[in-house]
This record gives sequence, C-alpha cells and structure tokens, in this order.
Amino acid sequence: MSEYLAAHVDGELTPRERRSADEHLAKCASCRARLAEERSLKALIRREAGIVRTPPDVRMRIRAALGDLAETTLRREPNRAASASRGDTVIRDGFALQRTSAAYPSVAQLSRNRLLAAVGGAVMLVIAIGIFVGRGVPRSGAGSVQVVPAFDMAIGKYLSLERNFTPNVPPEAYSNTDGAVYAWVQNREPVERVATSATDTFDDVARAYREMSMPDDLLDLSPAGYRLAGGRAESLPDGRPITYTLYTSESGAILSISYPDAAMAAPVGAVNWFGMRSFYEYKGYSICMSFYPTGHFVSILVSQMPVSQLLNDVAAADATVASK
Amino acid sequence: MAVKRVIPADQRLKFERAALPHLDAVYTAALRLTRNPDDAADLLQETILRAYRFFHQFTEGTNCRAWLLAILYNNFRNAWRRGAREQPATSNEEFDREVEAQSLLSDQTRTNPEDLIGGRMVGSQIEAALSAIPMEFREALLLVDAQELNYQEAADLLGVPLGTIKSRVSRGRALMREALRDLDRTRVKTGS
Repeated sequence: MSEYLAAHVDGELTPRERRSADEHLAKCASCRARLAEERSLKALIRREAGIVRTPPDVRMRIRAALGDLAETTLRREPNRAASASRGDTVIRDGFALQRTSAAYPSVAQLSRNRLLAAVGGAVMLVIAIGIFVGRGVPRSGAGSVQVVPAFDMAIGKYLSLERNFTPNVPPEAYSNTDGAVYAWVQNREPVERVATSATDTFDDVARAYREMSMPDDLLDLSPAGYRLAGGRAESLPDGRPITYTLYTSESGAILSISYPDAAMAAPVGAVNWFGMRSFYEYKGYSICMSFYPTGHFVSILVSQMPVSQLLNDVAAADATVASK
Repeated sequence: MAVKRVIPADQRLKFERAALPHLDAVYTAALRLTRNPDDAADLLQETILRAYRFFHQFTEGTNCRAWLLAILYNNFRNAWRRGAREQPATSNEEFDREVEAQSLLSDQTRTNPEDLIGGRMVGSQIEAALSAIPMEFREALLLVDAQELNYQEAADLLGVPLGTIKSRVSRGRALMREALRDLDRTRVKTGS
C-alpha cells in the first residue's frame, strides 16, 4: 500500500491504478492522512534538500572551459586562426578535437593550467601585435580599416547604451519562479529582475566584475572630466559574458566593452597606438582596442570624439593608474 | 590532422539553452557526490564539457536534467573515483555545512506550514535524516524528490529496474519519517 501512496504522490500511477486508488481514498480517512503525510515529506525534501546555487565563478569557468577546447582547435587549424585574425567571426567548438577520452586532459588539469597558459598566450599575442603594428603596417595603410564585425557590434551598442543606459552591476539580482535570488543569471528562464540597492561607485563596479571573473581594471577618466555612469553585464548570443562600462562627460561619452575572445587580434589599419592600445577611426567613430593578459579578454572603447582626444583621455587615465 | 566537424553557431546556443537551466541542479548533485566545493566544481565542469561534446546524442524532448545527471554519475563512477582524486570526505557534517552556507533558502525564513512535527522542522533536520538513512534510499529520494526525476529516469540513471526505484522511494520516505521522529525526540530530550 505504501508503494501505491508514494507512486500516487510522485504521479507514477497508471490511469487505471490512479482511479482505483482515488476510489479507495474517497472512503478511507486513514489512507488520505497517509497520502497527505507523504506529500508533505516530498515537499519538505524538495525544499530543504533542494538545489544549491552554482557559484558565479564556477559558472564563468565552465563557459571559459568551453572556449579552451576551441583554442586548441584554432592552434591546430592555422587557416581558421588566420581568418580569425582578420576579424571574422569564427564559431569555435570542442567537437573538432575528437580526442579519445584517454588522451583527453582532465578538466581539473585544464582549469589549473589555464591561467598560466592564458597569460603566456596573451603575452605572446600582445608581443606579436606589437611587432605587427610597429613594423608591419605601412603608414600609408593607416586609417583604412576593413570591416570589423566586433567594431560594428561595439558601435551599435554605443548608440543604444549612450542614450539609454541602465546599470545592472553590482549586483544584478534576479528571481525565478522558485523565489531564489541570483546575482548573475544566464539562460535562466523565466526570470524577473528584482530591485537592488546597487551603487555605481568605481570600486563597487570593479568588485562586481571581479566576482564575475571579468576584467575589473576600470579606467579612471576623472582627470579628463568623465564620471562613471555604471556597469552592465550581459551575454552575447553565443553565451559568452560581456560587460559594458559607460563613462560620460559634457563633451561626450566613452563606452568600454569587454568580453572573452581568444581568436580576436587587432585589425590592420590603426591610426595610432599607445602602450598596448591600438586606436582606429572606423565609420566615423573612434575606437581603442586592447587585450587583457588573462582570460583572453578583448577590450574595445568606443567614442564619437576625435581619435586624438580619445587617445589623450585614455593616456591620462592610464597615467593615473600607473601613478597609484 | 584534426578531424573537422563544424557545428553551427545555433548548436552551442541550443546546448546552452537546454543544459544551463539545470546547472544548479547538476552542481548540487556534484556537491553531494564529492562533498567538496572544489571537486564539485571540477566534476560539474567535466560533466558539462562532456555533455557538450556528446550533445548530438541527446534526444530532444527528453529530460535534459536526467541526461546531465546520468553523465555526472558516470563521470563520478568511472574517472573520479579511480585514483585521479582522493576519496571524498566521509563526513556528512561537512556537506551539511556547505549546503547550509550555500543554500538558496538559507537567508529566507524556513517556515513549513505542513510540517510533520509541530512546526519545528528545519533544513538541517532534513539533511540529518537523509544522512541517517542508507545510501540507496537517500539516492532514490534525492533524484525523485529534490531533482524531480521520474521513476524511469532515476532507474536508468542508477542502472536498476523500475520496481526497485519504486520500492526504494517508498521505503526511503518511511525511513525518513522514522529518522525525523528520532531526531525530534533527541532534540526535545536534549532541549537543543
């Protein structure tokens, strides 16, 4: 009998069993009480031994690990890597590896080695870009930038966010149907944004980015008269995390965008460069591109001000950081 | 030469849409298996990557959570326990503390109107009772009640006949009731 009660509560009775069980329950108070008890216990276990939230850094790490598989693919396939360096969108995935499970490195190894590899890889990349930009670009070619989808995306975002910017860090809080509150949510539906006491100070936004494992070195543009309007975290259509940081001043706005992209390299045609930053004039906008050493992050700054002014403002911000 | 098998962009999106809503559920199961947050994170990652690589084997319309949990259990059984890592800690208290610390509900009032024992039930008692019952019953209850799998999915995952799950769930709940009564008696006696 108790098996029937359990199966009844779990919705595992056949329609016929269910009918006869219900007929019996209608006339047996004792079984009804036991059924209610069974249901209560199930609800309690569900509620109290239920789901634990995945820490945000683990969530991010998993996304990065999906990217790790792709990096190996790119290294093995120079043609695809070359096309990536031209700024094309490359769909990267782990399927191209087709390794046997014996040869497959454990994720624990991957995650432990990843940081070192990422630092090394990105340093090499930056050096390569330095050499490339410094020696390889004839001045006559400067300013003639081919189509760069990442820049187009950045300008599109600049146009929408410059007018209508709603910061969502720190911390973005969402609630889903079970009432749980999440600080960082991706692909969790349905979700409802809940009010938070988010502040938009420099340190708070940097800390929020850090907690999301996103680059946290915000630009201190206050010497150039900018204030930090706030930070916003979203996902790209393919699920990669992306942050938008908006700085505003009376003379205009600068939008800073960061997202992981191991395949991206600085396009040819920079009009100037400063440290590890390359500056472009692109479709009437000024763009500054740089790479973060860890995690293969790309940083793109977009502004409508002249590129010389953007360079000056960014150089002042970098100097502020350096002097600290 | 690497074998190329290019997957369309929407495939990854499809995978993420199907799998990521269950990330917390899979993480919870990983935490229960490994009893250690670091190992749970590694096991979770290994599971998600494997699932991604074999996503073409997932049958659309079936329960993605059950599929992911099956991969998780297999990973844990096959690779995790075979020397690559230390055996998970045996202490349930460690896990209880972890759950307590991380529980989504930990900062919410735990009021259960339908409490079995006079409105005094708390999450730690449920955890303690779960720890007190034999593993096969605990596993069945966690899969069916906490992870919301149906009997067939739980049976497939554990590699046991459907009837076995049916009896384990029923017997498991009976054992839980006994364990909760025992705990409550102890609590009343000791006044804790």
